[in-house]
Amino acid sequence: MQWWCAATGLPWNWNWQWYPGVHLLLLLLGGAWWILGRRQRWSRRPTAWFVVAWVGLLLTLDWPVGKLGAGYLASVHTVQFLTLTLLVAPSLLRSIPAEGWQRLAPAGSLRSRLLHFFAGALPGLLAYNILVLTTHFPSVVDAAMTTQVGSFAIDIAWLLAGCLLWWPILAPAGFVRLGVFGMMGYLFGATVVPTIPAMMMVFSDWPIYRLYELAPRVSAHFTANEDIQLAGLVMKLIGDLPLWIATAVVFYRGTSQGRGLANA
Amino acid sequence: MWIPSRCWNSSNRRLHCRIETLTLRDRVTLLFKTLLVVTATGSLAATVGCSRGEQRALSPGGFFGAELPTPVAKPDFTFTDSKGQPFPFVAKTAGKVTLLFFGYTHCPDICPVHLANIAAVLDKLPDDIQRDVVVIFVTTDPVRDSLPVLDHWVKGFSPVFIGLTASDSVLAAAQAMVKLLPAERDTVRDAQGNYAVGHAATVIAYTRDGLGRVVYPFGTRQRDWAHDLPALVGYGRSP
Repeated sequence: MQWWCAATGLPWNWNWQWYPGVHLLLLLLGGAWWILGRRQRWSRRPTAWFVVAWVGLLLTLDWPVGKLGAGYLASVHTVQFLTLTLLVAPSLLRSIPAEGWQRLAPAGSLRSRLLHFFAGALPGLLAYNILVLTTHFPSVVDAAMTTQVGSFAIDIAWLLAGCLLWWPILAPAGFVRLGVFGMMGYLFGATVVPTIPAMMMVFSDWPIYRLYELAPRVSAHFTANEDIQLAGLVMKLIGDLPLWIATAVVFYRGTSQGRGLANA
Repeated sequence: MWIPSRCWNSSNRRLHCRIETLTLRDRVTLLFKTLLVVTATGSLAATVGCSRGEQRALSPGGFFGAELPTPVAKPDFTFTDSKGQPFPFVAKTAGKVTLLFFGYTHCPDICPVHLANIAAVLDKLPDDIQRDVVVIFVTTDPVRDSLPVLDHWVKGFSPVFIGLTASDSVLAAAQAMVKLLPAERDTVRDAQGNYAVGHAATVIAYTRDGLGRVVYPFGTRQRDWAHDLPALVGYGRSP
Protein backbone atom coordinates (compact mmCIF):
# COMPACT_ATOMS: atom_id res chain seq x y z
CA MET A 1 0.00 0.00 0.00
CA GLN A 2 1.21 3.48 -0.79
CA TRP A 3 0.72 5.87 2.14
CA TRP A 4 1.89 8.97 0.31
CA CYS A 5 2.00 9.84 -3.39
CA ALA A 6 5.41 9.02 -4.85
CA ALA A 7 6.75 8.15 -8.27
CA THR A 8 6.31 4.48 -9.12
CA GLY A 9 7.30 4.40 -12.79
CA LEU A 10 4.06 2.56 -13.55
CA PRO A 11 1.94 3.68 -16.50
CA TRP A 12 -0.58 6.38 -15.66
CA ASN A 13 -4.24 5.42 -15.30
CA TRP A 14 -7.31 7.21 -14.00
CA ASN A 15 -8.21 4.55 -11.43
CA TRP A 16 -8.77 6.13 -8.03
CA GLN A 17 -6.14 5.27 -5.47
CA TRP A 18 -6.32 5.70 -1.71
CA TYR A 19 -3.41 7.37 0.05
CA PRO A 20 -4.05 6.82 3.79
CA GLY A 21 -1.18 9.11 4.82
CA VAL A 22 -2.83 12.11 3.19
CA HIS A 23 -6.17 11.46 4.86
CA LEU A 24 -4.52 10.79 8.21
CA LEU A 25 -2.67 14.11 8.01
CA LEU A 26 -5.91 15.92 7.15
CA LEU A 27 -7.71 14.21 10.01
CA LEU A 28 -4.97 15.15 12.48
CA LEU A 29 -4.88 18.71 11.22
CA GLY A 30 -8.64 19.12 11.49
CA GLY A 31 -8.65 17.61 14.97
CA ALA A 32 -5.75 19.76 16.15
CA TRP A 33 -7.38 22.95 14.89
CA TRP A 34 -10.69 22.10 16.54
CA ILE A 35 -9.15 21.14 19.87
CA LEU A 36 -6.90 24.21 19.87
CA GLY A 37 -9.91 26.46 19.38
CA ARG A 38 -11.83 24.78 22.20
CA ARG A 39 -8.92 24.79 24.64
CA GLN A 40 -8.05 28.40 24.01
CA ARG A 41 -11.73 29.42 23.92
CA TRP A 42 -11.39 31.51 20.79
CA SER A 43 -14.00 34.27 20.66
CA ARG A 44 -14.30 33.62 16.92
CA ARG A 45 -13.32 30.71 14.72
CA PRO A 46 -11.84 31.65 11.33
CA THR A 47 -13.55 28.61 9.85
CA ALA A 48 -13.52 29.87 6.28
CA TRP A 49 -9.72 30.16 6.29
CA PHE A 50 -9.35 26.71 7.76
CA VAL A 51 -11.71 25.22 5.18
CA VAL A 52 -9.70 26.85 2.38
CA ALA A 53 -6.47 25.41 3.81
CA TRP A 54 -7.97 21.98 4.44
CA VAL A 55 -9.64 21.64 1.05
CA GLY A 56 -6.50 23.06 -0.60
CA LEU A 57 -4.41 20.37 1.11
CA LEU A 58 -6.86 17.65 0.12
CA LEU A 59 -6.90 18.69 -3.52
CA THR A 60 -3.13 19.17 -3.67
CA LEU A 61 -1.91 16.05 -1.94
CA ASP A 62 -4.61 13.49 -2.72
CA TRP A 63 -5.38 11.60 -5.94
CA PRO A 64 -5.22 12.60 -8.77
CA VAL A 65 -3.17 15.81 -8.34
CA GLY A 66 -0.84 14.26 -5.77
CA LYS A 67 -0.17 11.21 -7.91
CA LEU A 68 0.30 13.23 -11.12
CA GLY A 69 2.65 15.69 -9.45
CA ALA A 70 4.70 13.08 -7.66
CA GLY A 71 5.52 10.90 -10.61
CA TYR A 72 4.23 12.08 -13.94
CA LEU A 73 4.04 15.81 -14.66
CA ALA A 74 6.44 18.51 -13.52
CA SER A 75 3.80 21.13 -14.31
CA VAL A 76 1.40 19.55 -11.81
CA HIS A 77 4.25 19.30 -9.30
CA THR A 78 4.72 23.06 -9.68
CA VAL A 79 1.01 23.69 -9.22
CA GLN A 80 1.30 21.72 -5.96
CA PHE A 81 4.19 23.92 -4.90
CA LEU A 82 2.22 27.08 -5.62
CA THR A 83 -0.93 25.83 -3.93
CA LEU A 84 0.91 24.77 -0.79
CA THR A 85 3.04 27.90 -0.46
CA LEU A 86 0.65 30.55 -1.74
CA LEU A 87 -2.78 29.28 -0.76
CA VAL A 88 -2.68 26.58 1.92
CA ALA A 89 0.09 28.07 4.08
CA PRO A 90 -1.34 31.61 4.37
CA SER A 91 -4.83 30.21 4.92
CA LEU A 92 -3.50 28.01 7.73
CA LEU A 93 -1.85 31.02 9.37
CA ARG A 94 -5.11 32.97 9.12
CA SER A 95 -7.11 30.04 10.49
CA ILE A 96 -5.77 30.83 13.97
CA PRO A 97 -7.07 34.14 15.33
CA ALA A 98 -4.74 36.74 16.88
CA GLU A 99 -5.74 35.69 20.40
CA GLY A 100 -4.87 32.11 19.49
CA TRP A 101 -1.38 33.09 18.39
CA GLN A 102 -0.88 35.12 21.54
CA ARG A 103 -1.88 32.17 23.71
CA LEU A 104 0.20 29.79 21.64
CA ALA A 105 3.26 31.96 22.14
CA PRO A 106 3.01 33.85 25.45
CA ALA A 107 5.32 36.86 25.79
CA GLY A 108 8.82 35.85 26.81
CA SER A 109 8.43 32.19 25.84
CA LEU A 110 10.75 30.43 23.43
CA ARG A 111 7.88 30.14 20.94
CA SER A 112 7.26 33.84 21.14
CA ARG A 113 10.93 34.60 20.53
CA LEU A 114 10.94 32.23 17.57
CA LEU A 115 7.82 33.75 16.06
CA HIS A 116 9.21 37.25 16.60
CA PHE A 117 12.44 36.22 14.92
CA PHE A 118 10.65 34.83 11.86
CA ALA A 119 8.37 37.85 11.64
CA GLY A 120 11.40 39.80 10.46
CA ALA A 121 12.04 40.13 6.75
CA LEU A 122 15.46 38.51 6.56
CA PRO A 123 14.90 35.20 8.38
CA GLY A 124 11.60 34.60 6.55
CA LEU A 125 13.00 35.45 3.16
CA LEU A 126 16.19 33.50 3.67
CA ALA A 127 14.48 30.38 4.98
CA TYR A 128 11.83 30.49 2.22
CA ASN A 129 14.42 30.93 -0.52
CA ILE A 130 16.67 28.18 0.77
CA LEU A 131 13.74 25.78 1.01
CA VAL A 132 12.51 26.70 -2.48
CA LEU A 133 15.94 26.27 -4.05
CA THR A 134 16.73 23.05 -2.23
CA THR A 135 13.42 21.41 -3.05
CA HIS A 136 13.79 22.29 -6.74
CA PHE A 137 17.34 20.97 -7.21
CA PRO A 138 17.14 18.33 -9.95
CA SER A 139 19.13 15.85 -7.88
CA VAL A 140 16.91 16.42 -4.83
CA VAL A 141 13.67 16.11 -6.80
CA ASP A 142 14.84 13.03 -8.70
CA ALA A 143 15.89 11.29 -5.50
CA ALA A 144 13.12 12.42 -3.16
CA MET A 145 10.06 11.90 -5.33
CA THR A 146 10.75 8.22 -5.86
CA THR A 147 10.21 7.43 -2.19
CA GLN A 148 7.13 8.09 -0.08
CA VAL A 149 9.21 9.60 2.72
CA GLY A 150 11.03 11.89 0.31
CA SER A 151 7.84 12.97 -1.40
CA PHE A 152 6.22 13.62 2.00
CA ALA A 153 9.28 15.64 3.08
CA ILE A 154 9.06 17.82 -0.05
CA ASP A 155 5.35 18.49 0.51
CA ILE A 156 5.88 19.37 4.17
CA ALA A 157 8.91 21.51 3.30
CA TRP A 158 6.74 23.51 0.88
CA LEU A 159 4.06 23.97 3.51
CA LEU A 160 6.69 25.15 5.97
CA ALA A 161 8.26 27.42 3.34
CA GLY A 162 4.85 28.98 2.71
CA CYS A 163 4.29 29.58 6.43
CA LEU A 164 7.72 31.19 6.75
CA LEU A 165 7.05 33.33 3.70
CA TRP A 166 3.68 34.63 4.87
CA TRP A 167 4.34 34.96 8.60
CA PRO A 168 5.97 38.43 8.38
CA ILE A 169 2.93 39.60 6.38
CA LEU A 170 0.12 37.86 8.27
CA ALA A 171 1.45 37.73 11.83
CA PRO A 172 -0.98 39.43 14.21
CA ALA A 173 -0.32 42.87 15.65
CA GLY A 174 1.89 41.81 18.53
CA PHE A 175 4.42 40.23 16.19
CA VAL A 176 4.53 42.50 13.18
CA ARG A 177 7.61 44.63 12.73
CA LEU A 178 7.57 45.33 9.01
CA GLY A 179 6.04 48.57 7.78
CA VAL A 180 4.08 49.00 4.57
CA PHE A 181 7.12 49.54 2.38
CA GLY A 182 9.01 46.85 4.26
CA MET A 183 6.24 44.38 3.43
CA MET A 184 6.14 45.49 -0.18
CA GLY A 185 9.89 45.09 -0.51
CA TYR A 186 9.69 41.74 1.26
CA LEU A 187 7.02 40.44 -1.11
CA PHE A 188 9.04 41.62 -4.09
CA GLY A 189 12.08 39.85 -2.64
CA ALA A 190 10.08 36.63 -2.49
CA THR A 191 9.58 36.70 -6.27
CA VAL A 192 13.31 36.89 -7.08
CA VAL A 193 14.84 33.56 -6.12
CA PRO A 194 12.11 31.24 -7.50
CA THR A 195 13.02 32.78 -10.86
CA ILE A 196 16.21 30.68 -10.84
CA PRO A 197 14.59 27.21 -10.94
CA ALA A 198 11.78 28.57 -13.13
CA MET A 199 14.20 29.86 -15.76
CA MET A 200 16.26 26.68 -15.58
CA MET A 201 13.11 24.75 -16.43
CA VAL A 202 12.13 27.05 -19.29
CA PHE A 203 15.48 27.72 -20.93
CA SER A 204 17.46 24.55 -20.29
CA ASP A 205 18.30 22.76 -23.56
CA TRP A 206 17.26 19.43 -22.13
CA PRO A 207 14.80 18.48 -19.36
CA ILE A 208 16.41 19.15 -16.00
CA TYR A 209 14.44 16.53 -14.08
CA ARG A 210 15.24 12.90 -14.86
CA LEU A 211 12.08 11.81 -13.09
CA TYR A 212 9.69 13.74 -15.31
CA GLU A 213 11.74 13.20 -18.48
CA LEU A 214 11.51 9.44 -18.17
CA ALA A 215 8.06 9.20 -16.58
CA PRO A 216 5.36 7.32 -18.48
CA ARG A 217 3.44 9.90 -20.48
CA VAL A 218 -0.04 10.88 -19.36
CA SER A 219 -0.87 12.10 -22.85
CA ALA A 220 0.94 11.36 -26.10
CA HIS A 221 0.35 14.97 -27.10
CA PHE A 222 2.19 16.44 -24.13
CA THR A 223 5.93 15.78 -24.21
CA ALA A 224 8.31 15.85 -21.26
CA ASN A 225 10.01 18.95 -22.67
CA GLU A 226 6.70 20.82 -22.98
CA ASP A 227 5.70 19.71 -19.50
CA ILE A 228 8.89 20.95 -17.82
CA GLN A 229 8.85 24.23 -19.75
CA LEU A 230 5.23 24.74 -18.74
CA ALA A 231 6.24 24.04 -15.15
CA GLY A 232 8.79 26.86 -15.30
CA LEU A 233 6.29 29.26 -16.81
CA VAL A 234 3.63 28.38 -14.25
CA MET A 235 6.13 28.83 -11.44
CA LYS A 236 7.14 32.28 -12.59
CA LEU A 237 4.04 33.76 -14.20
CA ILE A 238 1.28 32.30 -12.05
CA GLY A 239 3.44 32.05 -8.93
CA ASP A 240 4.25 35.75 -8.90
CA LEU A 241 0.63 36.78 -9.27
CA PRO A 242 -0.53 36.20 -5.66
CA LEU A 243 2.57 38.00 -4.39
CA TRP A 244 1.84 41.01 -6.60
CA ILE A 245 -1.79 40.98 -5.47
CA ALA A 246 -0.64 40.81 -1.84
CA THR A 247 1.71 43.73 -2.49
CA ALA A 248 -1.18 45.76 -3.88
CA VAL A 249 -3.37 44.87 -0.89
CA VAL A 250 -0.59 45.84 1.55
CA PHE A 251 -0.11 49.14 -0.27
CA TYR A 252 -3.84 49.86 -0.40
CA ARG A 253 -4.34 49.08 3.28
CA GLY A 254 -1.25 51.08 4.24
CA THR A 255 -2.35 54.15 2.33
CA SER A 256 -5.93 53.81 3.64
CA GLN A 257 -4.68 53.71 7.22
CA GLY A 258 -2.41 56.67 6.51
CA ARG A 259 -5.32 58.68 5.14
CA GLY A 260 -7.45 57.68 8.14
CA LEU A 261 -4.79 58.87 10.57
CA ALA A 262 -4.33 62.13 8.64
CA ASN A 263 -8.08 62.81 8.64
CA ALA A 264 -8.26 62.11 12.39
CA MET B 1 25.61 41.80 11.85
CA TRP B 2 22.43 41.88 9.80
CA ILE B 3 20.74 44.38 11.99
CA PRO B 4 22.39 47.59 13.25
CA SER B 5 23.80 46.93 16.70
CA ARG B 6 21.79 49.72 18.29
CA CYS B 7 18.65 47.75 17.45
CA TRP B 8 19.65 44.90 19.75
CA ASN B 9 18.73 45.10 23.35
CA SER B 10 21.77 43.50 24.96
CA SER B 11 19.98 42.64 28.20
CA ASN B 12 17.31 40.37 26.74
CA ARG B 13 18.81 39.79 23.26
CA ARG B 14 15.66 41.08 21.58
CA LEU B 15 15.18 43.31 18.61
CA HIS B 16 13.47 46.57 19.47
CA CYS B 17 13.73 48.50 16.19
CA ARG B 18 11.01 48.85 13.61
CA ILE B 19 12.11 49.06 10.01
CA GLU B 20 10.68 52.60 9.86
CA THR B 21 13.00 53.76 12.63
CA LEU B 22 16.13 52.78 10.71
CA THR B 23 18.10 55.49 8.97
CA LEU B 24 18.38 55.57 5.20
CA ARG B 25 21.95 54.29 5.48
CA ASP B 26 20.82 51.37 7.65
CA ARG B 27 18.10 50.53 5.18
CA VAL B 28 20.46 50.60 2.20
CA THR B 29 22.94 48.41 4.07
CA LEU B 30 20.16 46.00 5.02
CA LEU B 31 18.91 45.84 1.43
CA PHE B 32 22.44 45.30 0.14
CA LYS B 33 23.07 42.48 2.60
CA THR B 34 19.75 40.87 1.75
CA LEU B 35 20.52 40.95 -1.96
CA LEU B 36 23.97 39.57 -1.22
CA VAL B 37 22.54 36.60 0.66
CA VAL B 38 19.88 35.97 -1.95
CA THR B 39 22.38 36.15 -4.81
CA ALA B 40 24.92 33.99 -2.99
CA THR B 41 22.31 31.36 -2.25
CA GLY B 42 21.10 31.38 -5.84
CA SER B 43 24.60 31.19 -7.27
CA LEU B 44 25.51 28.35 -4.95
CA ALA B 45 22.38 26.51 -5.96
CA ALA B 46 23.05 27.01 -9.66
CA THR B 47 26.69 26.01 -9.29
CA VAL B 48 25.94 22.86 -7.35
CA GLY B 49 23.10 21.99 -9.74
CA CYS B 50 25.26 22.47 -12.83
CA SER B 51 28.31 20.72 -11.47
CA ARG B 52 26.27 17.69 -10.46
CA GLY B 53 24.94 17.53 -14.01
CA GLU B 54 28.46 17.09 -15.38
CA GLN B 55 29.35 14.11 -13.19
CA ARG B 56 28.65 11.43 -15.78
CA ALA B 57 30.93 8.70 -16.94
CA LEU B 58 31.82 8.25 -20.60
CA SER B 59 32.60 4.89 -22.17
CA PRO B 60 36.14 4.30 -23.48
CA GLY B 61 34.93 5.33 -26.94
CA GLY B 62 33.48 8.58 -25.60
CA PHE B 63 29.78 7.67 -25.38
CA PHE B 64 27.25 7.93 -22.57
CA GLY B 65 25.64 4.77 -23.94
CA ALA B 66 27.09 1.38 -23.08
CA GLU B 67 29.66 0.19 -25.62
CA LEU B 68 29.39 -3.45 -26.67
CA PRO B 69 32.55 -5.46 -26.08
CA THR B 70 32.07 -7.03 -29.51
CA PRO B 71 30.20 -5.01 -32.16
CA VAL B 72 27.18 -6.74 -33.69
CA ALA B 73 26.20 -6.83 -37.35
CA LYS B 74 22.94 -5.41 -38.66
CA PRO B 75 20.13 -7.95 -38.95
CA ASP B 76 20.13 -8.92 -42.60
CA PHE B 77 16.38 -9.31 -43.00
CA THR B 78 13.73 -7.78 -45.17
CA PHE B 79 10.99 -6.20 -43.09
CA THR B 80 7.84 -4.47 -44.28
CA ASP B 81 7.56 -0.72 -43.84
CA SER B 82 4.41 1.03 -42.70
CA LYS B 83 3.43 1.72 -46.34
CA GLY B 84 3.51 -2.01 -47.04
CA GLN B 85 6.75 -1.89 -49.05
CA PRO B 86 9.65 -4.30 -48.52
CA PHE B 87 12.42 -2.85 -46.40
CA PRO B 88 15.77 -4.63 -46.80
CA PHE B 89 17.30 -3.42 -43.56
CA VAL B 90 21.00 -3.52 -44.45
CA ALA B 91 20.62 -1.93 -47.87
CA LYS B 92 18.21 0.80 -46.77
CA THR B 93 20.31 1.93 -43.82
CA ALA B 94 23.75 1.64 -45.40
CA GLY B 95 26.12 4.50 -44.59
CA LYS B 96 23.85 5.97 -41.93
CA VAL B 97 23.92 5.93 -38.18
CA THR B 98 21.00 3.64 -37.40
CA LEU B 99 19.09 3.48 -34.14
CA LEU B 100 17.18 0.21 -33.94
CA PHE B 101 14.48 -0.39 -31.37
CA PHE B 102 12.06 -3.27 -30.92
CA GLY B 103 8.79 -2.35 -29.21
CA TYR B 104 5.04 -2.04 -29.71
CA THR B 105 2.62 0.82 -30.13
CA HIS B 106 0.44 -0.10 -27.12
CA CYS B 107 3.51 0.13 -24.88
CA PRO B 108 2.54 2.43 -21.99
CA ASP B 109 5.97 3.53 -20.83
CA ILE B 110 9.32 2.56 -22.37
CA CYS B 111 8.67 2.81 -26.12
CA PRO B 112 6.99 6.23 -26.21
CA VAL B 113 9.55 7.73 -23.81
CA HIS B 114 12.53 6.39 -25.80
CA LEU B 115 11.15 7.60 -29.14
CA ALA B 116 9.99 10.96 -27.78
CA ASN B 117 13.42 11.63 -26.29
CA ILE B 118 15.27 10.72 -29.49
CA ALA B 119 12.85 12.85 -31.54
CA ALA B 120 13.23 15.84 -29.21
CA VAL B 121 17.02 15.68 -29.43
CA LEU B 122 17.22 15.10 -33.19
CA ASP B 123 14.97 18.08 -33.71
CA LYS B 124 17.51 20.34 -32.00
CA LEU B 125 20.63 18.94 -33.68
CA PRO B 126 22.11 20.47 -36.85
CA ASP B 127 20.62 19.36 -40.18
CA ASP B 128 23.73 17.44 -41.27
CA ILE B 129 23.51 15.28 -38.13
CA GLN B 130 19.78 14.77 -38.62
CA ARG B 131 20.31 13.64 -42.20
CA ASP B 132 22.86 11.02 -41.12
CA VAL B 133 20.66 9.38 -38.48
CA VAL B 134 17.93 6.83 -39.24
CA VAL B 135 15.56 5.78 -36.46
CA ILE B 136 13.93 2.39 -36.98
CA PHE B 137 11.11 1.09 -34.80
CA VAL B 138 10.31 -2.60 -35.33
CA THR B 139 7.04 -3.75 -33.83
CA THR B 140 7.04 -6.86 -31.69
CA ASP B 141 3.25 -6.97 -31.78
CA PRO B 142 2.35 -7.27 -35.46
CA VAL B 143 -1.14 -8.53 -34.62
CA ARG B 144 -2.30 -5.22 -33.15
CA ASP B 145 0.21 -2.98 -34.91
CA SER B 146 -1.34 -2.95 -38.36
CA LEU B 147 0.44 -0.87 -40.97
CA PRO B 148 -1.81 2.23 -40.54
CA VAL B 149 -1.57 2.00 -36.72
CA LEU B 150 2.20 1.64 -36.88
CA ASP B 151 2.58 4.48 -39.38
CA HIS B 152 0.38 6.87 -37.42
CA TRP B 153 2.09 6.08 -34.13
CA VAL B 154 5.70 6.30 -35.34
CA LYS B 155 5.11 9.46 -37.39
CA GLY B 156 3.54 11.00 -34.29
CA PHE B 157 7.05 11.26 -32.83
CA SER B 158 8.84 12.37 -35.98
CA PRO B 159 7.92 12.28 -39.65
CA VAL B 160 11.33 10.80 -40.47
CA PHE B 161 11.08 7.86 -38.08
CA ILE B 162 10.49 4.52 -39.81
CA GLY B 163 8.11 1.86 -38.52
CA LEU B 164 8.66 -1.73 -39.62
CA THR B 165 6.84 -5.00 -39.18
CA ALA B 166 7.44 -8.63 -40.12
CA SER B 167 6.22 -12.13 -39.44
CA ASP B 168 6.77 -13.55 -35.96
CA SER B 169 9.53 -15.83 -37.22
CA VAL B 170 11.46 -12.99 -38.87
CA LEU B 171 11.06 -10.83 -35.76
CA ALA B 172 12.36 -13.61 -33.51
CA ALA B 173 15.33 -14.25 -35.77
CA ALA B 174 16.15 -10.54 -36.04
CA GLN B 175 16.10 -10.09 -32.26
CA ALA B 176 18.27 -13.17 -31.79
CA MET B 177 20.76 -11.87 -34.35
CA VAL B 178 21.22 -8.59 -32.45
CA LYS B 179 21.47 -10.55 -29.20
CA LEU B 180 18.23 -9.26 -27.66
CA LEU B 181 15.89 -11.38 -25.61
CA PRO B 182 12.89 -12.26 -27.77
CA ALA B 183 9.72 -10.28 -27.13
CA GLU B 184 6.91 -12.20 -25.49
CA ARG B 185 3.19 -11.47 -25.43
CA ASP B 186 1.55 -11.63 -22.02
CA THR B 187 -1.25 -14.17 -21.76
CA VAL B 188 -3.15 -12.01 -19.25
CA ARG B 189 -5.64 -9.63 -20.85
CA ASP B 190 -7.52 -6.71 -19.38
CA ALA B 191 -11.25 -6.06 -19.73
CA GLN B 192 -10.74 -4.53 -23.17
CA GLY B 193 -8.69 -7.50 -24.34
CA ASN B 194 -5.41 -5.57 -24.23
CA TYR B 195 -2.23 -7.31 -23.28
CA ALA B 196 1.35 -6.30 -22.58
CA VAL B 197 4.35 -7.39 -24.60
CA GLY B 198 7.60 -7.98 -22.77
CA HIS B 199 10.45 -6.73 -24.90
CA ALA B 200 14.01 -5.49 -24.67
CA ALA B 201 14.15 -1.84 -23.61
CA THR B 202 17.41 -1.24 -25.43
CA VAL B 203 18.10 0.93 -28.45
CA ILE B 204 20.98 -0.40 -30.54
CA ALA B 205 23.09 2.23 -32.28
CA TYR B 206 24.89 1.22 -35.48
CA THR B 207 27.67 3.46 -36.68
CA ARG B 208 28.08 4.29 -40.36
CA ASP B 209 30.22 1.21 -40.96
CA GLY B 210 27.18 -0.96 -40.26
CA LEU B 211 28.25 -2.28 -36.88
CA GLY B 212 26.22 -1.99 -33.69
CA ARG B 213 28.64 -0.53 -31.19
CA VAL B 214 26.63 1.19 -28.49
CA VAL B 215 23.40 0.28 -26.69
CA TYR B 216 21.10 2.64 -24.84
CA PRO B 217 18.98 1.17 -22.04
CA PHE B 218 15.76 2.73 -20.82
CA GLY B 219 16.75 5.70 -18.70
CA THR B 220 18.95 7.27 -21.35
CA ARG B 221 18.35 10.98 -21.11
CA GLN B 222 18.03 13.59 -23.82
CA ARG B 223 21.32 15.23 -22.83
CA ASP B 224 23.03 11.83 -23.31
CA TRP B 225 21.52 11.47 -26.77
CA ALA B 226 22.51 15.04 -27.58
CA HIS B 227 26.11 14.19 -26.78
CA ASP B 228 26.21 10.75 -28.39
CA LEU B 229 24.38 11.25 -31.68
CA PRO B 230 26.99 13.63 -33.14
CA ALA B 231 29.69 11.34 -31.74
CA LEU B 232 28.08 8.34 -33.46
CA VAL B 233 27.84 10.27 -36.75
CA GLY B 234 31.48 11.26 -36.46
CA TYR B 235 32.67 7.80 -35.44
CA GLY B 236 35.46 6.51 -37.67
CA ARG B 237 35.81 9.79 -39.53
CA SER B 238 39.28 11.31 -39.54
CA PRO B 239 39.36 14.47 -37.41
